Amino acid sequence: MFVIITYDVGEKRVNKVCKKLREYLTWTQNSVFEGEISKSLLMKCLNEIDQIIDEDEDSIYIYEVANPKNIKKQVFGQEKNFDELFL
Amino acid sequence: MLRDHYIFSNGRLKRKDNTLYFFDEQENKKSLPVHQTDNLYIFGEVDLNSSLLNLLSQHDVHLHVFNYYGFYAGTFCPRNKKVSGFTVVQQSVHYLEHEKRLYMARSFLQSAVHHMLRNIRRYKEKTEQYVKNIEEEAKKMDSATTIQELMGIEGRIRQHYYQSFNAILKQDFIFEKRTKQPPQDPLNALISFGNSLCYTTVLSEIYKTQLDPTISFLHEPSTKRFSLCLDLAEIFKPLLVDVVIISCINNRIITQKHFDFLDGMVLLNEEGKKRFIKEWDEKLSTTVQHRKLKRKVSYRYFIRLECYKLIKHFIGDEPYKPLKAWW
Repeated sequence: MFVIITYDVGEKRVNKVCKKLREYLTWTQNSVFEGEISKSLLMKCLNEIDQIIDEDEDSIYIYEVANPKNIKKQVFGQEKNFDELFL
Repeated sequence: MLRDHYIFSNGRLKRKDNTLYFFDEQENKKSLPVHQTDNLYIFGEVDLNSSLLNLLSQHDVHLHVFNYYGFYAGTFCPRNKKVSGFTVVQQSVHYLEHEKRLYMARSFLQSAVHHMLRNIRRYKEKTEQYVKNIEEEAKKMDSATTIQELMGIEGRIRQHYYQSFNAILKQDFIFEKRTKQPPQDPLNALISFGNSLCYTTVLSEIYKTQLDPTISFLHEPSTKRFSLCLDLAEIFKPLLVDVVIISCINNRIITQKHFDFLDGMVLLNEEGKKRFIKEWDEKLSTTVQHRKLKRKVSYRYFIRLECYKLIKHFIGDEPYKPLKAWW
């Protein structure tokens, strides 16, 4: 399944969450990640993030897309990250 | 879901924050999610260190290295965790007993021939003669009693098969004879490059199963090479590589300007390689409805299923029936 994850966490924990998410998904923008991921891997990832965040202050949103072919992405201004096959 | 990354630029591959980072020469960095990576293909000049290799082995990522000319140089395989003495012993039995080995070798060939005919029958009116020649040759397969005979038949079939490319291909690509190490004309360069990609893909799929990649049946097992890959690649070369080659040429994705002509050898240049890999990667992730599993299965997974079928055959669970594309 295709997911988009956005997060808004306290300054102290921002880097930790970002680093954790980089292991699983593709970085798109500050505080935004996206990519294909399996259900179990997503559970694992969220579990690990759960250890990092402070549930009273921080928030993490997960958007699940059932059919990734159905989303249209438009970019205004600079595209910050290209998901390319080649490096 | 797992995907491959192809690195063409020079730079440094690094372990950072428990994931992979690639720094190119201009120090632009890009992170790759390590949990989602299956294979890394390195075509450029890349530095790396042992802590990166540790990370790769934790996540079962294979690292394939290609040399300056785009020829396959080697693979870093993480410690093999899928070992099973029982399977290896059974696999060896099927090599040692002549009848059993012959059955395996013949199965691989039958499947290869099926896929070759499937390819050229698409261009029926132009390739009738070649189809007949191949069918004629294929009949001898059942009566062959030695592996050498089978190899001979395979060689002759392949010759007819590659000859038929002259009738299929639209641009000015001509097949005269198969030359390798090094390839001497553009079509041979494409075939060689495609086959080496196929070989690495099969190898990384075999490593996900309990099979021993060095014990083979059609090809003679020997030291210093993974010959089971060659056996299995026999099935998938016509099914995947040749289809990609034909579509690349006939749709003018690759033309004569994508080759470097050095003295005595012809190679794909960087743009050519990228275009070919793009098509190849798309082909591997194309899915087909599987008859028995009743779900969609990618071509890459078909390779793994073939390995599972081999294991089932070795341990006496279910006789091996090679893949014959039904779609």
